[in-house]
Amino acid sequence: MSTETLFEKAELRNSSVTAWKEQGKKVIGTVCCHVPEEILHAAGAMPYRLRATGVTDLSEGDTWMSTFTCSYARGTLQYLIDGTFDFMDGVVSSDGCLMAGRIFDNWKYVDGNAEKKEFYLKQIAAPRMYNENAVGYYHDYLEQLRTELGAYMGVEITDEKIRASVALYNETRRLIRELYDLSKSDAPVISGTERLKLILAASSMPKEEYNEMLKDFLAKAGSRPPISDYRARIMLVGSALDDPEYIKVIEDKGGLVVTDALCFGTRYLWEPVELEGEDVLTSIARSYLKRPVCPRMVDLHDEFADLIVKFCKDFQVDGIIYERVKYCEIWGGEGLYFDAHQGMKEAGVPLILLEREEIMTNVGQLAVRAEAFIEMIEK
Amino acid sequence: MSNLIGTISHQVDSVIEHAKEKYADQMWMFDVQKASWDAVYHAHDEGKRLIYVGACAPVELIYAFDCVPFVLDMIPTRLASTPEVAARYIDLAEKYIAPTMCGIDKVDIGAILSGDMPDKPDAFIYSTVPCDNSRVAYPFICDHLGCPSYCIDVPFRKNEMGFEYMARQYKEIIEFLEKLTGQKLDWDKFQAIMTVSNQTNDLMNKIADMRKITPCPLPGRLLVLNEMIPGMVGHPAMLSYLEAQYAVGQDAIDKGLGAVKEEKYRVSWLQNMLWSNVGILDWMERKFGAVLVMDAFGYQRGHVFRDIDDLDTICIDFAKKGLALPMIHGASGPVEDYIDLVENTMGDYNVNVSMFIGHVGCKHTWAAAKIITDMIQEKFGLPTLYLDVDAVDGRYKKTDEIRALITEYMETIEENK
Repeated sequence: MSTETLFEKAELRNSSVTAWKEQGKKVIGTVCCHVPEEILHAAGAMPYRLRATGVTDLSEGDTWMSTFTCSYARGTLQYLIDGTFDFMDGVVSSDGCLMAGRIFDNWKYVDGNAEKKEFYLKQIAAPRMYNENAVGYYHDYLEQLRTELGAYMGVEITDEKIRASVALYNETRRLIRELYDLSKSDAPVISGTERLKLILAASSMPKEEYNEMLKDFLAKAGSRPPISDYRARIMLVGSALDDPEYIKVIEDKGGLVVTDALCFGTRYLWEPVELEGEDVLTSIARSYLKRPVCPRMVDLHDEFADLIVKFCKDFQVDGIIYERVKYCEIWGGEGLYFDAHQGMKEAGVPLILLEREEIMTNVGQLAVRAEAFIEMIEK
Repeated sequence: MSNLIGTISHQVDSVIEHAKEKYADQMWMFDVQKASWDAVYHAHDEGKRLIYVGACAPVELIYAFDCVPFVLDMIPTRLASTPEVAARYIDLAEKYIAPTMCGIDKVDIGAILSGDMPDKPDAFIYSTVPCDNSRVAYPFICDHLGCPSYCIDVPFRKNEMGFEYMARQYKEIIEFLEKLTGQKLDWDKFQAIMTVSNQTNDLMNKIADMRKITPCPLPGRLLVLNEMIPGMVGHPAMLSYLEAQYAVGQDAIDKGLGAVKEEKYRVSWLQNMLWSNVGILDWMERKFGAVLVMDAFGYQRGHVFRDIDDLDTICIDFAKKGLALPMIHGASGPVEDYIDLVENTMGDYNVNVSMFIGHVGCKHTWAAAKIITDMIQEKFGLPTLYLDVDAVDGRYKKTDEIRALITEYMETIEENK
């Protein structure tokens, strides 16, 4: 099994998707981080996180969502409309942020998709606070998802099946943490560009296959050439970043991206789902809500900043790049919280804010700014 | 500007002095503003607790604890008519947050950071709606002020599950207020306030129904002022304001009069109010006989408390009331809420001119604009004017530019008649 093959799984329509569809199985696209993939997996579907990687044409996205909106969302809608994601059998979304919600809303109204019984559409509600009342409310939506998806798939999604899926996904989480551990050393054997590809692969293929391939990659990682010619160790935080080319521009200037707090990074599958002595969906609801994933959670700003501080220490970070997609308002004000956070002040890690668009049209500008930042922080 | 609230309060006083001579028969419009700003400005002098509130805060409960609620977003909507003042706070906020964020939240943040609001609130009761911008602004303001707070997590869907989820939180707010004030809820007082609130909402609904009549008996500008209702519901001054408005409307209906001499067009705006240029409404009435009969932001269909003796029912009704508020009702949940709201408006109010006067800060409504305007075209045969504006920052587009674009559109409609 070639490690290069795992990198190739980051492609939108990769060989695993093709093989899965050839078996007559269903692929369900997910939008945002509050759709527990475990439930989709337990139903026998392949969860696939929708994204806009490499999009170069936003014409459909612009038409439906206007240009006053996040280009990542527009790009994702574009791929749904232009057929890039024509292997999807359904879309499950949460009300993650308002842009994510509108991907789902608009897709329903394109070509009367909402009326197509063969295509599964579901939007669950995810609370924006973490407390027992919120866990209960979220649980009820997960129960709805279990029932309705089970009916669509023609299966009963039992607790046992969900527990098995949780175990599988927790193994993915463990392996991904191990993958990131590779970047803690002074001379990591993997770049940030490569690592993002491996996370994208995780979101785009069956986890059973992914786990085996990632284990294989990790087992052989020691033989990869160590990277020691970098100038600074970078952490990326900010809006959904699904394009390895963006990181490559930074790394080409000598900034090795050793870690991140991105929803296509550590925030995708990291903290294990803890199956406590309670209803399995309650455990999932609790685990998903209490993770600091993105600033949509109004009461987890401190936890998010704590996590950044911890990662800065664990990965010996020299500087933070806070990338923000234009019109991504959920990330539009996080700087306020960073400035006020005592731990971040004490850590004193330099931070630069870079605005970006999903289409990589400003590579030159990014390179210049990244290089200037790296010059400032290199030791 | 060392005390923004005080300055606004004094401005209202000055306007009233001026209006006494010029608009003696319209003082009811000014009295409610005075009651609102004075209460906030003098709250602490009068020994009352000042509570900042966001959408869905249970205003009647706050009054019942003898506290003064203050809708923080009243600052940006008030300052929008003085661009140079709003700009001061917007520019300050943009040092810290994305310039693309909503002007309402930029002014809120800028005003707080500027130190121009020295009268620290005793608490802040806010919520997770209406949008991603407010979800950034409110928790930050709360942290920055360091005051006790309660955040209501508002459900995505307006259904029984959501009502019950919210109702449980309203019960917690009673405990929060009891702890804050050191007093138990005075039920007699609360019930009296709920009674006034119900009368207010009944009148609000009747006034909204009046606007369905052709010609529309009330001008578009009153829709702007009516946005104050949720923040003062249960206060006698708000009831008096609506009683006066109802009487004016009824008088016009009795005489067969409309807000303009010859009503040619019945307009609906599909997004936010243009607070930075409310005069456009008067200008449309004068120039085209085009009356804003209802807008998607200000659309209000107030729920009443069905049983003021039963706490469970009251809390469910708080939830229903909160979810029916401007912006929350159409734009904070699934797009179907927005579609239904606009469809009802277009049909019930017999609208014949549709305009998407789109505040650029309100991205989630822009992201639904095609769905909404396609529906209008399909069901009502009306095209829609798209016009990007900044509802709060008057520097975005000047009055002449807005007028020119609307004029061009109205002339097209005239030609195609």
